[in-house]
Amino acid sequence: MERLLALWVESLSEERPDGSVLRDYLRVLDAVEVLCPFVEPVRLGLCTLPLRGPSRFFGGDEAVLAAVRQIVRDVLGLDVALGVAEGLFCAELAARQEVVLQAGQTTAFRRVQPLAVLGHKELATTGRRLGIYSVGDFADLDAARVAERFSAAVRVLHRVARGELAELPGQRDTRLRARLRSARGEDVMGDEQVSFFGQRSAGDDRARAAAHRVRHRLGPEGVLVARLRGGRAPEDRASLAPWGSPSCDERDDAPWPGRLAGPSPITSLHQPVAVELRDDADGSVSMGARGSLSAAPASLVFAHGSRRGIVWFAGPWPLVERWWASGRRRAHVQVLLDSGEAMLLSAEVGRWWLVGIYD
Amino acid sequence: MATLRPVTLAKSRLVPLSEPWASLTPGGGLRRGSTVVVHAQPGLGGLSVGLSLLSEASAKGHWAAVVGVDDPGVVAMSDLGVDLRRVLFVPRPRGAWAEAAADLLDGVDLLIVRPPSRASHGAARKLMDRVRERGIVLIVLTEPRAPWPLPADLSFHLISSRWIMSSRLDARYVTLRVSGRGEAQHRGEHVVMVPDVRGRAVAR
Repeated sequence: MERLLALWVESLSEERPDGSVLRDYLRVLDAVEVLCPFVEPVRLGLCTLPLRGPSRFFGGDEAVLAAVRQIVRDVLGLDVALGVAEGLFCAELAARQEVVLQAGQTTAFRRVQPLAVLGHKELATTGRRLGIYSVGDFADLDAARVAERFSAAVRVLHRVARGELAELPGQRDTRLRARLRSARGEDVMGDEQVSFFGQRSAGDDRARAAAHRVRHRLGPEGVLVARLRGGRAPEDRASLAPWGSPSCDERDDAPWPGRLAGPSPITSLHQPVAVELRDDADGSVSMGARGSLSAAPASLVFAHGSRRGIVWFAGPWPLVERWWASGRRRAHVQVLLDSGEAMLLSAEVGRWWLVGIYD
Repeated sequence: MATLRPVTLAKSRLVPLSEPWASLTPGGGLRRGSTVVVHAQPGLGGLSVGLSLLSEASAKGHWAAVVGVDDPGVVAMSDLGVDLRRVLFVPRPRGAWAEAAADLLDGVDLLIVRPPSRASHGAARKLMDRVRERGIVLIVLTEPRAPWPLPADLSFHLISSRWIMSSRLDARYVTLRVSGRGEAQHRGEHVVMVPDVRGRAVAR
């Protein structure tokens, strides 16, 4: 079973009426997502991420833990309890106890836990009478005997105690994802545009009618609405969809790690434009295999031949997504032209593309 | 969660602006029925300034539309504080920008238009009249090759800009002149940071 890193922030585990806990929790998720797009919201105060990928990328468990700890401190000024174990049930316990278990240690860890961690009062009381104090003692009971003496709920807990089930019933808040989506404003797009305030206002209706008129005039692609999703580069995070098209959940496919830092370009080219970078001697500047430029770019040449002087550049920042699979390989470079215009370029499939303009 | 009342706001004479724009503008907001021009050389920051004017209004429940901005960087807009849930984009109206703008007049409180070429006197007059009649705000983004043919009620003229760099582009200082008719006269030159390192517009 996969080793999970669990993040537990006790002060974020109970919602406050003003919704501030959900928002803070969302900020933690968004921040951690920069390290790992597969971070999973479990319930308020608790989230997990598979450790294997980030650990390989950051060079070990300790480095990932340190990065996560730092991120949560930066975002909320809070300390997070971190733990690593196999399966959600043990990962949460590990986080609360702040222990990092290596592969294969989880079963022993689970067995020594007090019976109360299964969260069933009746079982804990009866267990004491029967001389069963730990999860391991309970696990050792014969399943048929458990079925005889206990309710269906306890039979499920018995399977958790034996490691046959990885999580407790109710450990996960099944409505959390929907709440997070609505806190992010992701469910309010499209034809069934609902106002932020829960019901459509008169203003929303007028806007819908106006959008209909424009769509009628210009066609289905005429009016667009914006959607934001997880992702690294501005051109990945942004999407403009025809107004009225069904919204879809695109978050699962968020690439990583680390967003491009600093401001994003206010023009993000829907269709990147092929360009060339040239050095002082008018030689072509390319991306080397080791992620560096073959020479300092001195000018930017467009396909139609026009040429602009480059006075400064930064990067390249490689974006190798899902390096364990054969993902897209890209690198970004920022250039400042002699006209004062700043642009974002991307190297992909062996050439340069203009992807954004900081107008 | 705070409850907002767009209905009350709709009665107000001003569409709200966030800082730093509020303190550069007479009354701290955009007067309904007025036309605002944001004029800049391409690449100087005119688009960031223009779109940033939507932030406070969209956050307060007003709808906006953006006509003729080909490839809006919606991440940057979000960083500027624009609530994208209330923005309609009409990126490529082709020859029909004036018609598309007219279609939107009844649906939004703020209408941003970037005419693809120089607008005719007649088209500009007609649009400004209808904007006044409907009590919304028109924001026109112009550049030297496509100026707005009529005087605006308020104008932001970008004079120069300068990037601050470290190992990347961090922020940009934009020097602009604010001018206009009546109370908006002689508002003078100002320096605004847009975007700052977090993509926002802030007073220097």
